Amino acid sequence: MLTLLFILFAGMAIGCALAVVAQRNPLYSAISLIGVFISLSCLYVTLAAPFIAAVQVIVYAGAIMVLVVFVIMLLNIEQEERRRNRLKFLVPTAIVLAAVLIAEVAFMLVSVNNPTPAVSDIGLTSSIGSQLFTRYLLPFEITSILLLMAIVGAMTLARRGGLLSAEARLIPGAQQLPLSLVDPNAAPDDLRLVETDSTEAAARLLGVDPLNTKRD
Amino acid sequence: MEPQLSWYLALSAVLFTIGVTGVIIKRNVIAMFMCIELMLNAVNLTFVAFASFFQDVIGQLFVFIVMTVAAAEAAVGLGIIIAIFRNRESLDVDEASILKL
Repeated sequence: MLTLLFILFAGMAIGCALAVVAQRNPLYSAISLIGVFISLSCLYVTLAAPFIAAVQVIVYAGAIMVLVVFVIMLLNIEQEERRRNRLKFLVPTAIVLAAVLIAEVAFMLVSVNNPTPAVSDIGLTSSIGSQLFTRYLLPFEITSILLLMAIVGAMTLARRGGLLSAEARLIPGAQQLPLSLVDPNAAPDDLRLVETDSTEAAARLLGVDPLNTKRD
Repeated sequence: MEPQLSWYLALSAVLFTIGVTGVIIKRNVIAMFMCIELMLNAVNLTFVAFASFFQDVIGQLFVFIVMTVAAAEAAVGLGIIIAIFRNRESLDVDEASILKL
């Protein structure tokens, strides 16, 4: 029974993983990746790790993939167009990697000493929690600092670079400009915002070249 | 015949290699990002398999921390992707070859 489940979910995981790489549309890749996460979660259940299985679905398939799909939608990415291979040595590299993988798998299937699984409670939430909050408390607390740094980093990276000065080059895309930059008659501290729909509209308002979008 | 430890390790190796292949051949930054997530999951499978077969809870704790790192990576990575897209209007990694925005 467990063997049957393993074969089913392992096949699903490998199939979805191949689809992640093979798809040209990033949105289809993301949905295939969710399939990989779900089948791995089922494998975790067969490995007697129900807590990790639940966290896998909630954190990976829920939170992280929603974020990825959100960014894909936000950026409105078109399909990757088919082009020549960018580097010639990639195909031999892939062949060597595949050979290494096959050797590795054969080695594992032959020579790994297989212990017998036993019924236990190590995967339950209570045993994970008691270890996490006693012996491994320091890694757990460091994790919270890591998340705080990630929040600050993401906000710093993703926000627009503040209000534009008169000498600033143009930022591509729709944006809001302060009235003091757009209208010469406005007071210099007039920060009421003027909305623009496109890079060209913003360039016209600011009186700069619309192609001059890169900062250097 | 029950599933053996080596089966899980083999599956993990296959998934990891598919992820590496994706990172090598993909051009879209977001697709590469998703292949990195795939590699992290392959490693997680190894951790859980060892934890289950050797009856040690620390493997599952490591998976927990790997997931946290993956969440942090998703937040910062997607922020970088948005910043690159805003400056270049493209997600092609070949065009983002200069290490400044």
